[in-house]
Amino acid sequence: MAQGKEENYNVIHKSKPRIDGVEKVTGRALYAADMYMEGMLYAGVLRSPYSSAKVTKINTDKAKAIEGVEAVVTYADLRKKKSWAGYMYLTDHIRYAGDCVAMVAAQSKSLVDDALAAIEVEYEELPGVYTIDDALSEGAPLVHEEYEKNIFTDSMFHIRKGDVEKGFEQADVILEREYRTQYIEHSYIEPEAVLAYMDPNSGLMTVQASAQNPFFTRRYVSDILGIPLNKVRMIQAILGGTFGGKEEGIGLVTARAAYLCYQTKKPVKFVFTREDSFLESAKRHPFRLRYKIGATKEGKIVAFEGEQVDNCGAYNNQTQFMNWRANVHSSGPYEIENVKTDTYGVFTNNIHSGAMRGYSSPSLIFGQEQLIEELAEELNMDEIELRKINCLKDGSITATGVPVEYVILQDVMEQTVEQTDYTRKHAEYKKQTDGRKRKGIGLAICYRGCGLGAESPDASGCMMIANEDGSVSIASGLAENGQGLKTAYAQIAAEALGVRYENIQFPQLDSFAIADSGMTVASRGTVMGAQSVRKAGEKLKKIMIKNALELRAFSLENTGLTYDDLTEEDVELKDAVFFLKKHPEVKVDFASVTNTCIWTGKQMAAYEWFMPEDLPQDHATGQGKAFPTFAYGCVVAEVEVDMRTGYVDLKKVTASHDVGRAINPALIKGQIYGGIVMGQGYGIMEDVAPKKGRVKNRNFDSYILPTSMDAPKMDINIFESGDPTGTYGAKSIGEPATEAVAAAIANAVYNATGRRVRENPCDLETVLLGKKLG
Amino acid sequence: MFKYDYYRAGTLDEVSEILARHQGKARIVAGGTDIMVQIREKDKRWEDLECLLDLTFLESELRYIREEGNQIHIGALSTHTDLERSEIIKKWIPFLGKAASTVGSPQIRNRGTIGGSICNASPAADPLTPLIALEAKVVIHGKAGEREMGLKEFYLSQGKVDLNEDEFLKEFVVEKLPEGAVTEFVKLGRRKALAISRLNVSVVLMLDKEGSISYARIAPGCIFRTPDRVETAEELLIGKKPSEELWKEAGKEVSDEMIRRTGIRWSTEYKQPAVEAIVEDALAQAAEMIG
Repeated sequence: MAQGKEENYNVIHKSKPRIDGVEKVTGRALYAADMYMEGMLYAGVLRSPYSSAKVTKINTDKAKAIEGVEAVVTYADLRKKKSWAGYMYLTDHIRYAGDCVAMVAAQSKSLVDDALAAIEVEYEELPGVYTIDDALSEGAPLVHEEYEKNIFTDSMFHIRKGDVEKGFEQADVILEREYRTQYIEHSYIEPEAVLAYMDPNSGLMTVQASAQNPFFTRRYVSDILGIPLNKVRMIQAILGGTFGGKEEGIGLVTARAAYLCYQTKKPVKFVFTREDSFLESAKRHPFRLRYKIGATKEGKIVAFEGEQVDNCGAYNNQTQFMNWRANVHSSGPYEIENVKTDTYGVFTNNIHSGAMRGYSSPSLIFGQEQLIEELAEELNMDEIELRKINCLKDGSITATGVPVEYVILQDVMEQTVEQTDYTRKHAEYKKQTDGRKRKGIGLAICYRGCGLGAESPDASGCMMIANEDGSVSIASGLAENGQGLKTAYAQIAAEALGVRYENIQFPQLDSFAIADSGMTVASRGTVMGAQSVRKAGEKLKKIMIKNALELRAFSLENTGLTYDDLTEEDVELKDAVFFLKKHPEVKVDFASVTNTCIWTGKQMAAYEWFMPEDLPQDHATGQGKAFPTFAYGCVVAEVEVDMRTGYVDLKKVTASHDVGRAINPALIKGQIYGGIVMGQGYGIMEDVAPKKGRVKNRNFDSYILPTSMDAPKMDINIFESGDPTGTYGAKSIGEPATEAVAAAIANAVYNATGRRVRENPCDLETVLLGKKLG
Repeated sequence: MFKYDYYRAGTLDEVSEILARHQGKARIVAGGTDIMVQIREKDKRWEDLECLLDLTFLESELRYIREEGNQIHIGALSTHTDLERSEIIKKWIPFLGKAASTVGSPQIRNRGTIGGSICNASPAADPLTPLIALEAKVVIHGKAGEREMGLKEFYLSQGKVDLNEDEFLKEFVVEKLPEGAVTEFVKLGRRKALAISRLNVSVVLMLDKEGSISYARIAPGCIFRTPDRVETAEELLIGKKPSEELWKEAGKEVSDEMIRRTGIRWSTEYKQPAVEAIVEDALAQAAEMIG
């Protein structure tokens, strides 16, 4: 770890073992698909094979006649076909090849399959649109009648800073480039799964689902059944990965299971096949990025203009957030006086795009960090030097017109450049003119607004309960997604309250235990979400100290003190021991105080709500503070490219990230290792490549991900900036870990080959031929 | 979901009997690494499937790799791992072991069999090209007894091999390569493991006392409708001394042959230069082994 002033922490800033580690590595963790109830039914859906169509006829008689099939439900049976978020539970208006026309519940999985096969559907195919260019073309068919030219107007954002016309007039060099990125799949190990069951007396519907955002998913259940939210009990099942993927899709799955449970009055388990998951889970938004950049011959960037268009697919309720973030970050981690950018999404007849680790940033950075190098080349200037001149520094004004503080971006970059011997290697590799295999080194820098910022409320709640035996239970409105949130929260809770890490228990989220605290997204869990955990801990600590004094828990003999001399300020609670600050030998165990508290009726719980500062922004210009703070990073990729096959072998990645304060360094490294390999897949081989809206790669035999054999050597540097904004100074890391990797790879490929890959990924054909094949 | 019966056969003749009874609607399962996936995907070929016939209990009859004089016999149930680890293969036809070692993952190689791989008849099957280069023969077991034919003729088209309704593949027979021959297998995939070949090639080379090439085999994979050697490319090497230029000529001949046979297709733009590259690689690496 570099930088960072030493603080005397007891529990955080240490690599505590994962609170849920043993159950996961031993295979004992119970996932939703592992759950079983006597008499439960299995569920399935029938999907349209067409990407744009009308159902003209549907006949379920044969399916209903099959013994053991207990419910067959079509779009015609549903009171509510369209979910609160816009996606369709079932529909007869097909907007992508994945829309569902019917669902069934039956006594076995094979009966589900038989029932689905027995449903007769007739479709009338309609013209569709698939690419961004098609969707925007004159006279293109409309995916949604209400959106003219297929433009998703709610997702349109602008930056208007300074005067770009004037800026370009000052420029000695002006460069215009277009970059494109592709659809990719989250590829979590566990496909979507849910078990729904109902208490017939109270009508309480319980769902245990692999939901990234349990409250978000609960909303779907209430929505489809038309029952109040307090009639739905959502218990989050342990997640086998999500990365932003188990949001809309799992909401639809859970709602359908609940509906079938409601109809049949029997428990219903619905587990997606991998194919289902590929067909209905959101994908990373493909972007078309058109940038124009102007700089003086000294290397000062004076103007930046951009149009960032993303493919929303058939439905959306995330593109506006995606694009808000894209808008804020549209000119990269650089201070530029004149910026004019427009960002918007278009509807097409493809699978919907949604949240995926990095949100819009991996796409943008793929373009921006190549653009900066293309500009350096035009200026005949060293690309690191150009970055140094323009990158954000303390007091720099961002694209949204506000100054930033605690900016260690340049340090992070310079140290990484030195550590990797970048400059020498880059110069040497550039000279390669022959040789079958050529080496390349590439760099990308990044910055990322921490948490949700002005996108949506970043508030959260935490309930903390001390039990009579001194153990502590916490409940949070944010959820464990596999990223290590429980571990980080347990550390923060223990630190703030003054107990041991081992004292804390943090079970799966239950909607009856805590209030909705928004979604566990945007790498906000630790930086913002845990603020309420810290607050609750600090509040409970005060309460418990007061209790200890009121109960006269200390033995004051030999101190010459009386209880009248003591105030709460004189007592400390640390490592589950109360002691007098001036007489540390006078101490009492936390557990002995809690034990007395329970029999004397003392309060032993605290609930706290954290509300971040208000961040007002002007919609027309995008000006105003966007985020409480930013995390900075630098990634260097080293590759070897086979010049005759286009094979890119990623040899080594060095990733340096400003994490503010490392709550758990081992978990941070884990996040970064995973982020690098995910970025490698995005940068080199992954592509859902829908053909006329149809996803052909529906399983991992044809959808190519990096294997452990492909993973590069990885060097990780953790920087601590001393920025106090986040919880104990922590910043985001989940998304920064992956966002700059593909850009660094593309720059490395250029360094090796002299060929710019402006359309991600750097797959065999693109690297060899300089274009996508077919 | 396809519904079908499951049978185990106790003897080789029983296999033929069951196959005959189902008149083409029975399918053999050996390792299951292809068929189980195809059934799950509801591959139309198996819509009318009546039964899966499990051969895994016939290991003592069908799982072997042995030398018989100048020949090597490879039982159809030999797994890719068996091929990879076989000392006999390593000694006489090492590229077959190498090709097998690049299939899928360790789990797939432990289950998947050479017989299953060939009868699945994918043009991208890795062990296919070394066997073609070796002019392997297949021994087929049927109700009327056994018959033998060339592997090249046995492979009819993608997904189709020359088996009658009562027949199954029993073993492969290959002639040992002459002393001094070297072999190489080169594969191009999209990643380092679990990769289906985008392209692959098997080659055999031998030099005479003067250092000229006296024997050559070149069998590229994934580029022809049915697997084959490129004899014109082989002939071009004979009598010449190994050189980079020569490998280039051979690579060019292979890509020319690809275009002659399959015409210009959407993927030709990539396959043409890439196949030349891997043919050159394989020949150069083989020549290096001669030293």
